[in-house]
Amino acid sequence: MKLTLKMWRQSGPDAPGGFQTYVVDGVTDEMSFLELLDVLNEQLVGEGEEPVAFDSDCREGICGSCGVMIDGQAHGPQRGTATCQLHMRLYKDGDTIVVEPFRSAGFPVIKDLMVDRSAFDRIIEAGGFITAPTGSAPDANLIAVPKMDSDRAMDAAACIGCGACVAACPNGAGQLFTAAKLAHLNLLPQGQPERQRRTIGMVEEMENYFGSCTNHRECSAACPKEISIDFIAMLNRDYRKARR
Amino acid sequence: MPVHDVLIIGAGLAGQRAALAAARAGATVAIMSKVHPVRSHSNAAAGGINAALNPDDSWESHAFDTVKGSDYLGDQDAIEIMCREAPNEVLWLEHAGVTFHRSAEGKLGTRAFGGASAARTYYIADITGQALLHVLYEQLMKHHEQIDRYEEWFITGLAQDDEGNCVGAIARNIRDGAMELFTAKSTILASGGAGQCFKPTTNALICTGDGIAQAYRIGAPLMDMEMIQYHPTTLQGNGILITEGARGEGAHLYNAEGERFMEKYAPNKMELASRDVVSRAEQTEINEGRGFPDGTVALDITKVPRKRTLEALREIVNIGRDFAGVDITREPIRIRPGCHYIMGGVKADINGATSIPGLYAAGEVACVSVHGGNRLGANSLLDTLIFGRRSGEHAAARAAGMPAITASRAQVRDQEREIADLMNRSGGRRVSEIRDELGTMMNEKVAVFRDHAGLTEAHEVVRRLKDEARFATIDDRGTVFNQDVLGALELGYMLDVAECIVVGALERRESRGAQFRTDFPKRNDDEWLKHIDLSMNGGDAPKVSYSPVTITKWEPQERTY
Ligand SMILES: Cc1cc2nc3c(=O)[nH]c(=O)nc-3n(C[C@H](O)[C@H](O)[C@H](O)COP(=O)(O)OP(=O)(O)OC[C@H]3O[C@@H](n4cnc5c(N)ncnc54)[C@H](O)[C@@H]3O)c2cc1C
Ligand code: FES
Repeated sequence: MKLTLKMWRQSGPDAPGGFQTYVVDGVTDEMSFLELLDVLNEQLVGEGEEPVAFDSDCREGICGSCGVMIDGQAHGPQRGTATCQLHMRLYKDGDTIVVEPFRSAGFPVIKDLMVDRSAFDRIIEAGGFITAPTGSAPDANLIAVPKMDSDRAMDAAACIGCGACVAACPNGAGQLFTAAKLAHLNLLPQGQPERQRRTIGMVEEMENYFGSCTNHRECSAACPKEISIDFIAMLNRDYRKARR
Repeated sequence: MPVHDVLIIGAGLAGQRAALAAARAGATVAIMSKVHPVRSHSNAAAGGINAALNPDDSWESHAFDTVKGSDYLGDQDAIEIMCREAPNEVLWLEHAGVTFHRSAEGKLGTRAFGGASAARTYYIADITGQALLHVLYEQLMKHHEQIDRYEEWFITGLAQDDEGNCVGAIARNIRDGAMELFTAKSTILASGGAGQCFKPTTNALICTGDGIAQAYRIGAPLMDMEMIQYHPTTLQGNGILITEGARGEGAHLYNAEGERFMEKYAPNKMELASRDVVSRAEQTEINEGRGFPDGTVALDITKVPRKRTLEALREIVNIGRDFAGVDITREPIRIRPGCHYIMGGVKADINGATSIPGLYAAGEVACVSVHGGNRLGANSLLDTLIFGRRSGEHAAARAAGMPAITASRAQVRDQEREIADLMNRSGGRRVSEIRDELGTMMNEKVAVFRDHAGLTEAHEVVRRLKDEARFATIDDRGTVFNQDVLGALELGYMLDVAECIVVGALERRESRGAQFRTDFPKRNDDEWLKHIDLSMNGGDAPKVSYSPVTITKWEPQERTY
């Protein structure tokens, strides 16, 4: 099939950006969205133009590197997948697709479709860890962790830090990422001693970079790991408790 | 010029674990990665990590399985250390917040893995690597005052002083193209594997063997390079991995005639024989015409209860759906053996020290050798953590006793010149073309079955590609995020690594572990129970020497599963 791509081009962080239109022919159903970008880049290079810069690594939905806005949706129209897992069989000949970087004040553009997501690192730095006891480790089976808690913590730990939640939110809020990271640790017995300090630290750091959550729920819909919005409720509860 | 006690190249599990250990020992640390740390390839590890934690299991049993899995090429002193230290490492991870799978009673749960005599693989669904990597990264953050992180810096070469000690590395800031010399009293290579030498591969695009080649270029010997693991269950075409966890949970393999063919090859362990055995069985079925027309056999996960698949293999459910259009809970999926892991690497001792003073290596880049001829599933994550930690500790101890070091900036200028030359070339072949030709050729000639004729041809192709790469051209001449320049440098590393793989495979005139020579189909302990070491021969072809295999408790026996 033949597709028209309206592609955001921006040569550097401070350069002005704008859309360029490209036509790509010979796209097949089996191609992933990133393979489409590869084909476009081959074509651009052939014409002596600079290829479009975008992040990707594992190309199987696990590393969280990739991520672009496709027709205004973070990671595109398919639920529960990252950009690299999106396949062209969803499109038909003659379609036009608008491709932009994740947009948020917290994620400045580096080049073309690449953004700087280091604000997420600042949030982790502000308390998103467990101070593990030193010395010899006691038997982990001495402290049984109820399977339900462990499973929920695991659901939260599935976050790959791609940033789609922020990009999807009309307010550019960082709640779902922060909530997932918090819940993962706050649900575990070993996460209890630092629970309050962690919650305050991470939530307040988050507010330095991101907008506030007004319950649009777009984040969870865009999340490639379908992380539940319930974790945000848990974040709010934990924060209120910690601040009391 | 940034100065640290310990410089760590690579921020996958091995690098991050080393950084934490070095910081704990009081060193100032820099950790550097060409991608953001949590995007490192360790992320992709799915199935789990081995440790003999259960009271009815023992580290000796784990060690014996590993020795047998290695086809007796593994060094048993190192294997003993790894297996003995495994339980504490897993517990430490658990305490740091890794949500290992729990049983209904709240106890840690295990799954069975190939080549193991007990179910000792601890796991987090099928995202074990991701879960570990994110928790280690949190720990790195916790030590942010002692550990400087340089994310999106690309190491172009190791720095040496006049006496030949490694004194740090030269790196390019990917964001703006600036080159910098990072000096350190100890340098730890933790830059991962080289799967991209093959196409397709289960490895991510960044696994281009940079560290292996960089160490080789400054004279460090490489070991066991011929040992490339083909994983039994990868998707045709794109090479995406279906974790061994699937077979661990009970999935079966069938040929196109509906026969559960592992009965013929490994009647006891069946699908859970070691990987080299299963991959060879599949390839034999395919070669003898009992595979499907697209060169695959079938993996039937419908044997696993659907509820369990949805809980424990959730990523694989997605992969089946997205990349093969198959609902694995309802129908078999077509798979084939595919390049997955390099057992060989930079020769390192049990503390990670290489033969270059000041240079350590840990993780997939290194060859300690705990995996010998064939790595057991779920032993690699363990290897990265145990030897990552040990190298971190030893690198810090070495630095503690040392006066300040000096390094010459001339080496930076050399590398700058090299990159400038590369950007100015025109008229040669494209980098991506050479890379494709290399990968496709390696996957044809240096795969599950090998022979003299094919390997000789492979060597000729690699030599030709090396010549072509010297004149290859790139398109992007900018400084901001110039991925083309990095691609050209990576190609150079891949070619060095590929040449060593081929030369090692040609040299080893027997069949052992992952190396199966159709012209020498038997294992030959009299002549080949030894490691093949390769080092740069001043010129540009690897020089072969041998080193003995360390045997402590387990004399070589016939290997059946
Ligand atoms: C799909 C898949 C599944 C797997 N599943 C399992 C499993 O279940 N259990 C198991 O035990 N093993 C598994 N393995 C193997 C295991 O994941 C790897 O061997 C291991 O994670 C390697 O870790 P590492 O720290 O050595 O390297 P990596 O995680 O690959 O990290 C390398 C680091 O080096 C950096 N780097 C590389 N080159 C440069 C450079 N030039 N400049 C700067 N930085 C550089 C990278 O940015 C990265 O940070 C799996 C492998 C694959 C491919
Ligand atoms: S490239 Fe890794 S998640 Fe898409």
